[in-house]
Amino acid sequence: MFDFRFYEIWREPDFIDRLINGVWVSVELSTAGGVFGLIMGLTLAAAQSSVSPSVLRYASISYIEGIRNTPFIVQLFFVTFGLPLIFNYRWPFEASALLAIVLNFSAYFAEVLRAGIESVHRGQIEAAQSLCLTRRQTFFDIVLPQAFANVWPSLTSQFVFLFLTTGLISEIGVEDLTWSGRYIADRNFRDFEVFIVLTLLYVLIVFGYKAIFSLVQRFAFRWRVAR
Amino acid sequence: MTELLQLLLGEFHAKMLLVLLSATQWTIYLSLTAFIGGGLIGLLFTVLKISPIGWLRRLATAYIWLFQSIPLLMLLFLTGLGIPAFFKIDVPAWLAATVSLTLFTSAYMSEVWRGALESVPKGQWEGGRALGLGFNWILYSIVAPQALRIATPPTVGFMVQVIKGTSMAYIIDYNDLMRWGKKIANSQLDGAEPYIVYPVVALIYFGLCFPLSQWSKSLEKTMSPK
Repeated sequence: MFDFRFYEIWREPDFIDRLINGVWVSVELSTAGGVFGLIMGLTLAAAQSSVSPSVLRYASISYIEGIRNTPFIVQLFFVTFGLPLIFNYRWPFEASALLAIVLNFSAYFAEVLRAGIESVHRGQIEAAQSLCLTRRQTFFDIVLPQAFANVWPSLTSQFVFLFLTTGLISEIGVEDLTWSGRYIADRNFRDFEVFIVLTLLYVLIVFGYKAIFSLVQRFAFRWRVAR
Repeated sequence: MTELLQLLLGEFHAKMLLVLLSATQWTIYLSLTAFIGGGLIGLLFTVLKISPIGWLRRLATAYIWLFQSIPLLMLLFLTGLGIPAFFKIDVPAWLAATVSLTLFTSAYMSEVWRGALESVPKGQWEGGRALGLGFNWILYSIVAPQALRIATPPTVGFMVQVIKGTSMAYIIDYNDLMRWGKKIANSQLDGAEPYIVYPVVALIYFGLCFPLSQWSKSLEKTMSPK
């Protein structure tokens, strides 16, 4: 009854190449999406601080709620098939995928970072002011590093959760890991084995990401005094 | 109702909206089934995870780890395409979607609930034991009611994840809101351009999710332990 035929994946050099390429594309796009998403998320979170004008604050909140309460796949399809019609300009699907990933990730990151910024003790800001630091210095040198240190674990799990949804970009023809899996399964009809292998590869990538995140945690937050 | 919509949006768009809204019911059914089913299984594994028996705890740990690690997309492919191909059986899309989302929900819910149970101070367990109560009794009448306060907001919040997760089920041809949105957007009809259809679809999802996430936020404020 259990007739696993994983060799039908390995024996074809083309399939192996597709898998390797798929891992690479997935990692590339979600890493780039993570970095740009973090920058945009930080901007969104900063726009919500009490000193920013209320127009900015509401724009940021609306954007975050809009993204967080709609599925990624709808955003992806809108960015891929809707936006090019509005701007009357076609760009490659990879660019659409990256744009959708950045737009999506940034809203989730912003929510995490906002919590991080709020978690920094008021006394820290008061102390910075009493030392005559400017507002910019206070934010970038005092508040932000502590905010990052406080929410780094949440940021890690949020990123991993989001990474696991990026397989949807295969739906618009981006040749990521999920796409490679479907390509292989369409040819050797061993769907079950293929998706088991794919799952394992995703789990491995998640391990890799988690390792990088904890490495960053170990070295970037060294200054932190144990409380 | 239909006349009013036709008057407001024109015949074509009124019809489109009605088709999308009637497809939404399948999204809602799937979400509710997954949430209730996942909640029950999640509850079981939460209890196993904190049980005094070692191998049951390890079983629960393995289960939670497994279904949190498998991407939902892969669960859908495995149940919707993999199992039918491997066992040469026919699995209807709704069943595959329900099973996948239930497994996904149960793993995340039991993680949330375990965290809530563990946040109840140890002294509560010890107090119960000092009164001569057994494990089940302490859990049911002392610890769980306290954990409920902490667990409720994230539980409601997770419903949003479940609803958004159901949108992936269109991949295995489950006929939900997303699938109909895609069908209409691909139809090439005038007035059904992707930049009209997908925002409408997004708006319907938003209408389902936003009240829940706001409710979760307000619960967080009212239920947070002092």
